[in-house]
Parts: sequence; C-alpha cells; structure tokens
Amino acid sequence: MRARRYALLISLVLLCLLLLTLQTRGLGGGPLADLLSGLWTAAQSGLARTHRAAVGVWSAYVDWKAVRGENARLRSLAERLRIEALGVEETRQENARLRRLLDLRSRLPLATVPGEVIGREAGGWVRALTVNRGSASGIARQTPVIVPEGLVGRVIQARAGASVVQLLSDPASTVGAVVQRTRTAGLVEGDPSGLVRLKFMARDGAGVAPGDLVVTSGLGSLFPKGVPVGRIKAVEDRGSALFHYAILEPAVDVARIEEVLLVIDQSEQDVAGLFAGDG
Amino acid sequence: MRSTLLLMFGGGLAQTSLVPTLAVGGVAPDLPLILTMLVAFRQGPERGCLAGFAAGLLQDWSGGGLVGVQALTKALVGFTVGCLVGRLWVASPLVQVPGLVLLSLGEGAARYALLSFFHYPAGFGELMLHVVVPQALYNGLAGALSVWMVEAATLARRWLWT
Repeated sequence: MRARRYALLISLVLLCLLLLTLQTRGLGGGPLADLLSGLWTAAQSGLARTHRAAVGVWSAYVDWKAVRGENARLRSLAERLRIEALGVEETRQENARLRRLLDLRSRLPLATVPGEVIGREAGGWVRALTVNRGSASGIARQTPVIVPEGLVGRVIQARAGASVVQLLSDPASTVGAVVQRTRTAGLVEGDPSGLVRLKFMARDGAGVAPGDLVVTSGLGSLFPKGVPVGRIKAVEDRGSALFHYAILEPAVDVARIEEVLLVIDQSEQDVAGLFAGDG
Repeated sequence: MRSTLLLMFGGGLAQTSLVPTLAVGGVAPDLPLILTMLVAFRQGPERGCLAGFAAGLLQDWSGGGLVGVQALTKALVGFTVGCLVGRLWVASPLVQVPGLVLLSLGEGAARYALLSFFHYPAGFGELMLHVVVPQALYNGLAGALSVWMVEAATLARRWLWT
C-alpha cells in the first residue's frame, strides 16, 4: 500500500520533470495541445459569460435595493420637512398676528389685555368665543373685544380665568354704530342666519351706499368710538317702512382670529384712524 | 476519481475567471491548491497527489508558463497533506489555518526552487514578500472557511437523509 503510494508520487514527479525537459528542448506542442486549448478556452468563455451575467443580475438587484432604500429615506425626509415647514409657517403667521396686535395695542390710547381664543360657539343659537382672560385679569362684563381689523364683540360672561365674548353676528348682539362717510347712525345687529345688519332710521336711506365703512358710534360709553365694524354690502330699500336695513360685511373674520385685545378702560377719542386698513 | 478530476477542472476554471474578483490588494487565493488540500484531507495521499497534479497541470497550462512546475509542487502538497491527516487533528481551525499557510509557503518555496533551475528572474525575498506570503495567508483563511463549509454541507446532507 505504502509502496504503491510512493510509486505514484515518484511517477508523477518524473512525469512533471519529463514535461519540463521536453519544453526546455522546444517540444510539447501538437494537435492534442491545440484540442485541449480549444476546449479550455470554450469553457473559460462560458464561465466568464455566466459570471458576468450573475454579477450583472446581482448589481441590478443591489442597485434596485439601494434605490428603494434611498427612495424610502427621501420620502421620510420630505415628510419630515413638510411637517417642519408647516410648523415654521404656523409660527410665522402667529408671529405676524401677534405683531399686528401688539402694534395696535401700542397705538391705542386705551388700556388693553391680550387674550388667546380657546373656544368657539357657532351653533346658531349663540355665536361666541371663549378667551383665556377673565376677571382675574381685570376683565368684566361688557368689555369690548377688538382685533387690528376691528370689533369682535363684547364680553358677556367673565369667569376667573376666561371670558365668553358675544360676537357681532350673535342674534342677541346690538352695537351702536355710524356710517363713517354719512354719519348716519344706526344699530348693528346679529341675525340667526349669521348675517350682520345695520338698522337705521333715515327715510331716504341717507345716501348710504355699498362699500361705506361702519364704525362704532361711542354712544353709551360701551365701545370706544370709531372701531371698524364692517362695510355696507347691500342696502335693503323697504319703501315707506320706518327702519331701513343694510347688510354688512363684518370687518373681522371671526372664524380666523386666534388672538384678541380686551379693552379695559374708556376713552372719548375717535380711534378709527388707528385700525388697519379700514381706519 | 472522476468527481475529483471534475472538481479540479472546475477549480482551475474558477481560478482564472471567478477568483480574480475576490482579490484583496492584488492578492487572490490559490483555489486549486485549497481544493487539493481538501481532497487530500478527505481522501488520503494518493487522491491528494493526483488531484494536485491535475490541478497544477491545468494551472501551468492555462497560465502559459512551464507545464509541470505547479503540477509537481501541488502533487507534493496533496501527498504531504494526505500523509498528515492521520497524525494531526485537521478538523481544528487552529491546525487548518496555520497548516494551510505553511503548506502554501512550502508550495511557493518549492515552486521557486524548481523555477530557479529554469532561470526564473525574480528574487526569492521579493517574491515571498509580495506574492507567496500574502497568498499563503489568504489561502489559510479561505481554506479554513472551505473546510468548514464542506463539513457543514456533509452534516446537512446526513441530517437530511436520516
């Protein structure tokens, strides 16, 4: 067994040496070598093609996976940035609102308390807001509530830490007002349908026209004089009726306000010129 | 024997087409040498010697060098490994990795010695430093991994059959 083993080894070694010797003497080519070469080359080419194809498929898979991962990552990033952008926009708008409110507060010759809207009641029976300032902040019933655009309403209930503000469109709301251009006096009233009307007594309509600005009259010392209430949208001609009505476009879009000023003292001064736009 | 020759043929083909893609820093493992060792580990010195001869012959021929050099050195390696199987605990990685490294170094040195008869131009130290030693280290790791994979495949086959 062992002899056979060594015999095999010696035979192979001798064969190798013979091959080497033949090559050094310039022999060793021939048709057998050519045939072997052809077979080897064909096998090599086939394997190389298979390898290239396998690598190609793998590369495509890896690329696809990378692109899919990147896509998911970018989607998540875009989502996060969108949320951040919304937050930034929200902050920017809040900042702008607060600046305008602060600007109005500094211009008004009246003491005011800023408040934030924390609740809304708009069912139709009652139209009101709740703000986060109450009697603890010096707020009492009938306190006028304003924003840079004009009048919001008045406080009808002052609790310790919050107040309920009756809006102009509340059916029970009544505000003494004048048409700024004609000085036609009237009452601004809410309506169950949500409209705001100016009720006035002049038989000939007093020249009131759509677009005219209506401001608080200041009579009764409840509201400061000159706070914008709205603009005349349409005049209802009732012929010989005692009262005429004009439909108003309120100066304040109550659905959008988030911060307000509560006016806690009185002044005889006309403040119309101090409000944004309408003044 | 036929499966051994097919294995060697496949190994020779892979060495020229697939193995270059595994090169690290220009060093690629010598797959036919690793296969020769595997055959010798499992089937003894005669099969190891024949496998090494066949693998070396293919490498010599496909590489365009002197046919017979690697056939001789790999046949010697196959024979040596086959003879060592009963004496060393070759299943242990602590034997496999250094064993494969040493055998690769030995094969490299033997190849150089044989080639020096034919006026091989490179210096021994330079060749060892840049070619033989790095390849021997790579062979050690790749060979141990191959042994482990073959063992795992054998175990899995046994488990599936029983």
